[in-house]
Amino acid sequence: MDFPQGMAFEEEALPRTGMIVSGALHLGVIALVLLSPFFRSRDSARTVATTEVSLISPEEFAALTVPEASRPEVPRAEIALPVPAPEAEAAPAISPERPEEPQSRPAAAPLTPPEPVAEEAPKVETPPAPPVAEVEDTPPEPPAPEALALAEPPSDTPTPREAPRVAPEPAAPAPPEALPDEVLREEVSQSPEAVEKKPETEPTAPPEASTEIVTEAEKPASSAPVSSPRPRARPARPAPPVAVAKAPPAEAAAPEKDGKDAMAAAIAAAVEDAASTPAPVASSPAAAAGPPLSRSEKEGFRLAVSRCWNVGALSAEALRVTVTIGFSLTRDGRPEPASLRMISASGGSDGAARQAYEAARRAILRCGARGYNLPIEKYEHWRDIEITFNPEKMRIK
Amino acid sequence: MKHLKKIVLLIAVLGVSACTDPGRFGPGAGGAGAGAGAGLGGAASDPRSPEYFRQTVGDRVLFAVDQSTLSPEARATLDGQAQWLLDNPEYSAIIEGHADERGTREYNLALGARRAAAVKEYLVARGVAGTRLSTVSYGKERPIAICSEESCYAQNRRAVTVITAGGGV
Amino acid sequence: MSIKRILPLLVLVLAGLGALFSGPLTAQERPGPLRIIIDEGVIEPLPFAVPDFIAENAAAREYAARITRIVAADLQSTGLFREIPKEAFISSVTSFDAPVQFGDWKAINAQALITGAVSVSGRRLTVKFRLYDVFSGAPLGKGLQFAGTTASWRRMGHKVADAVYSRITGEGPYFDSRVAFIAESGPKNARVKRLAIMDYDGANVQYLTDGRALVLAPRFSPAGDRLLYTSYESGFPRVYLLDLGSLRRRALDEQPGTMSFAPRFSPDGRTVLLSLSVGGNTDIYSLDLATGNRRRLTSAPSIEIAPSFSPDGRQIVFTSDRSGSSQLYIMPAGGGEPRRISRGKGRYNTPVWSPRGDLIAFTKQNKGRFHIGVMQIDGTEERLLTSSFLDEGPTWAPNGRVIMFTRETAGAGGTSALYTVDTSGRNLRRVPMKGAASDPAWSPLLK
Repeated sequence: MDFPQGMAFEEEALPRTGMIVSGALHLGVIALVLLSPFFRSRDSARTVATTEVSLISPEEFAALTVPEASRPEVPRAEIALPVPAPEAEAAPAISPERPEEPQSRPAAAPLTPPEPVAEEAPKVETPPAPPVAEVEDTPPEPPAPEALALAEPPSDTPTPREAPRVAPEPAAPAPPEALPDEVLREEVSQSPEAVEKKPETEPTAPPEASTEIVTEAEKPASSAPVSSPRPRARPARPAPPVAVAKAPPAEAAAPEKDGKDAMAAAIAAAVEDAASTPAPVASSPAAAAGPPLSRSEKEGFRLAVSRCWNVGALSAEALRVTVTIGFSLTRDGRPEPASLRMISASGGSDGAARQAYEAARRAILRCGARGYNLPIEKYEHWRDIEITFNPEKMRIK
Repeated sequence: MKHLKKIVLLIAVLGVSACTDPGRFGPGAGGAGAGAGAGLGGAASDPRSPEYFRQTVGDRVLFAVDQSTLSPEARATLDGQAQWLLDNPEYSAIIEGHADERGTREYNLALGARRAAAVKEYLVARGVAGTRLSTVSYGKERPIAICSEESCYAQNRRAVTVITAGGGV
Repeated sequence: MSIKRILPLLVLVLAGLGALFSGPLTAQERPGPLRIIIDEGVIEPLPFAVPDFIAENAAAREYAARITRIVAADLQSTGLFREIPKEAFISSVTSFDAPVQFGDWKAINAQALITGAVSVSGRRLTVKFRLYDVFSGAPLGKGLQFAGTTASWRRMGHKVADAVYSRITGEGPYFDSRVAFIAESGPKNARVKRLAIMDYDGANVQYLTDGRALVLAPRFSPAGDRLLYTSYESGFPRVYLLDLGSLRRRALDEQPGTMSFAPRFSPDGRTVLLSLSVGGNTDIYSLDLATGNRRRLTSAPSIEIAPSFSPDGRQIVFTSDRSGSSQLYIMPAGGGEPRRISRGKGRYNTPVWSPRGDLIAFTKQNKGRFHIGVMQIDGTEERLLTSSFLDEGPTWAPNGRVIMFTRETAGAGGTSALYTVDTSGRNLRRVPMKGAASDPAWSPLLK
């Protein structure tokens, strides 16, 4: 009946020399903690267990930290609480033009967000990068076997398959001999330059993917003892993503209750986009910049980035953030890490915008690690790029 | 003969009173409605014995899905129960309300309470003193039939009148 | 107006349009940035690598390995992350302070890398870690350090995982939390039920009652220090309040001839909502824990049950069958005219307001199946997350992203188990634990 020994953490703080140095900051943090209603309510009650969480002092951290140009800001506060207080100092740095505001999710607070411009500096030497198709490499990780207990009978209904991956293009389960692999080993060993960029012809099969999340409730009826037709389809399900992706903007504006604004913005942006992109039929006065990208070239690039844009690990709030990222590409189509910056974000807190930005940044860097396939003669047209990542459609999958 | 009857009765009362101990609601008991033994109920042939009540009068009534209204059959059974209780004022009863497993735990508790109350109201209307009757709900916690089919569910949607010692407060 | 007269005009306009859309670029003119909109991405687990944490002294060796596994298991269990097996690693981490070979981690497509170190001195355990965004070759956030006793090593792992999870996803943490539940044993018609508590991941099970009395449906206080539950120890269902520190308990609202059950705390922990059955009619009451004052919040002849406060304490969502079948309603916290929010077919039950306030989770029964679902608080955007013979009793993780519930299998040998599912409907999985269990109640985040 007793709780095991040692379940409770001591509430003592380690004496640290750094405390003296950053005493003033401590006071600020403590004041914030005390003023925060969140903590007040917690303080008032006893808990099953308490823990001590100590951030490392600046000196210690400096000692710990590798000598890297991109080292993050050292922590300046020691907090004896498991759930960090909304720290003023931890305001996201990704968007300098935005006013600092307290984090709505305190847990994310103690971690200093990376300085997007400075951080890419150190490792610009192009390491053996994963081939583009590797993005697809997700071995289907089945949930606990019990979770899949409902046998899925072969079905001729167009219900999307349940798959651990949701992607614009559905993919059949990989044949057993072409299991998705962590690494395409024969390519990793080569230098990226030596490898031709042919993402479409990777030997590794893409992982099984469905075009949308299929909840258990949406699967076809199983062989359960009680007969049951599958539940009513969700209302307002968007059109199949593939179709939508290729549809003109007006058609993409499927009625969405809560997303009118975002959709309107997307449409506006799309219209603007269309307007600013000349049709490929342009009578070609051979200018230095060359002819603009054709629709298919643009589409190919768009698809290449979207393949790496994984929103699966984003919070619900971050999935409401539309973020625009600006960056430059080298002549061989690689993103210049230091050029990546957030141009704008809308739809969520700074914290959510940060996660949204980071996911988008990962997409650009990861799929561009071996260079995007863009026509070199049109370099001037694609050297500087601004991509708007709008997760509207991904949210409801 | 008269003495023998008294002894039997005494044993029965003792046995049943053991069952009315709060502790009886432990695992496996589930009240008399859940199983065979209502303690020493006396001989089923003795019309004054709780065992007779269980077997001959009928200690339970069944309900339709999500309902607590009494069917004509249920009323007939309860008429017999009421008569027995009027004839045997030395006993009281706990009415247990039960539900099948096709509902959420807490809702079924409320549903069982409703069923038990429906039985109690009927017995009171037939003249049994309300002070002799108490109710409890087990929701879906104590099924008597354990298959997951309607044949079992129908048996589990029940109110069981469990005879206890004492003529009421 | 003749065609001839319009023609020149048309030509002019067309020429103008042409110039607008395909105007030639002069040599000096550099085109503006290429603007792209991406609204289709992928949803897949983010691959991460977590090499074994460095043991900074001999005593830490065992803990370092174990804590690493906790971190990996926590992240993996969310379905949002996928651990890259050690066998795929190209470089090994031999020192916490050694420079990270980002190229090696990119090569195996590790998008996040977690490094850590553990030291033990006496009973004191210290864990520090760093999180890196591999493709931008930079740390994500600051390094963090946690200290506690060696006995709490699992919690240290959970805390590291919580920090990583929050930093990448933006969701609040939830691994360092516990779950109260009912441990079950015995046959279906004579189940032994015990009140128990465990870590969120099924570890460290402790029993709080002995199984002699039937117990049901515990709920945590907002501070995580007390439990409400229903017990038959008096012979009748009654609500009890258990202090987890002292393990002392007391019955709330003992009234002969009534049954009380389905208790819930208010967000400030001072008030308890419960359902009271009087004469077969079940209504919702609020009970002031300090004064014992009771207040009736509903007074319909129908069943009113399973209340749940909004996180701001202003509203209560509950179940009522006043319409003829059980449906969900919302009323002001002090009682008042309820507003029905569930609109779909079938029966709705056990509504639970999400800690974020944005959703209501519920149990739905329709056409012989049970579902756990979520809806907006106005009842729109209903979405069923699960489907089985019997799913019920959702409870929210402290961050409002994951729901745990009871799943019972059919038949004479049917048993209960706890499952979790993401609010997106993904990642349905069974909570790994021995023995049958039901009625989970997720604690707030531990302190």
